[in-house]
Amino acid sequence: MAFGAATAISVAIARDPALVRTVRLVAAAVARRTGQDEEFVEEIRLAVGEACALMVGADTLEPQEQTGPVTVKMALGDRLKVDVVSEGHVRVADEPLSDIDGVEPWALLRGLIEDFAIAQEGSTTRLSMSWPLV
Amino acid sequence: MDLSLETRHADGHTIIEVGGEIDVYTAPKLRDKITELVSNGEYHLVIDMEKVDFLDSTGLGVLVGGLKKVRAHDGSMRLICNQERLLKIFRITGLAKVFAIHSSQADALAEH
Repeated sequence: MAFGAATAISVAIARDPALVRTVRLVAAAVARRTGQDEEFVEEIRLAVGEACALMVGADTLEPQEQTGPVTVKMALGDRLKVDVVSEGHVRVADEPLSDIDGVEPWALLRGLIEDFAIAQEGSTTRLSMSWPLV
Repeated sequence: MDLSLETRHADGHTIIEVGGEIDVYTAPKLRDKITELVSNGEYHLVIDMEKVDFLDSTGLGVLVGGLKKVRAHDGSMRLICNQERLLKIFRITGLAKVFAIHSSQADALAEH
C-alpha cells in the first residue's frame, strides 16, 4: 500500500499513565496500515508506548515541569516517522540514579530503534524515531 | 486490556499468573502483589508471563525490583515466557542474563 507524504496522525494526551495505552492502540493501527508484518507492528507499538511512558513518567522529568500534554505525531512517507513531544525538559541522558529499579530508562528504545534521537527544543523535549518502509 | 494477577502455590513456590499489559499504568499493581507476597514470607516466586500481551521498561523495573526483594531473603524469582516479542525485550536490555527464564511451569518448578 502506498502513502502520500501528507499522511499524518497527531495525538495529544494529558500526562496520565492510563492514557498511554490509547496511544499504543493508535500507533499499532497506523503501523498496520503500512502493510508490514505483525513483527513490525509490534515494534512500533512497543516503541511508541515506551516513549510515551517515559515522557509521561515523572522519573525522567524535572519536578517543576510535570505539566502539559505529551503529543505523538506519526507520518507515513518513505519511512514511518514518529515524534513524541513533551512540555518541559525531560532528562535525555541515562543516569545511574535515574534507573527504574535497575533498568536504565532509555536503554530499551536505544536498543530497539536504529534511528532514534532525543533533544531539548526550547521549553519542550522531542523524541524522534523512524523506520524504513519496504 | 487491564492487568490480571492470579496466585497459586506449587512445590514450595508461589506462582503469579500474569495476564494483560504490564506498562507504566498497571505495573504498580504487580509491584504491590510482589511486595505483599514477600511481606508474607513467600520468597520463591514464579512469574508466569504466558498471557502477557505487552511489557515496557516500567514492567521490567518491577520484575528487577522483585528479584532484588526475594534475593534479599535468599529467595528466587523465575520467569515463564515463550513469547518471542517479550524475550526480545529481555535480550535488548540485557536482562535475559539476569533472570532465569523458563518455557513452562514444569521447567520452572523442576529447577532447584
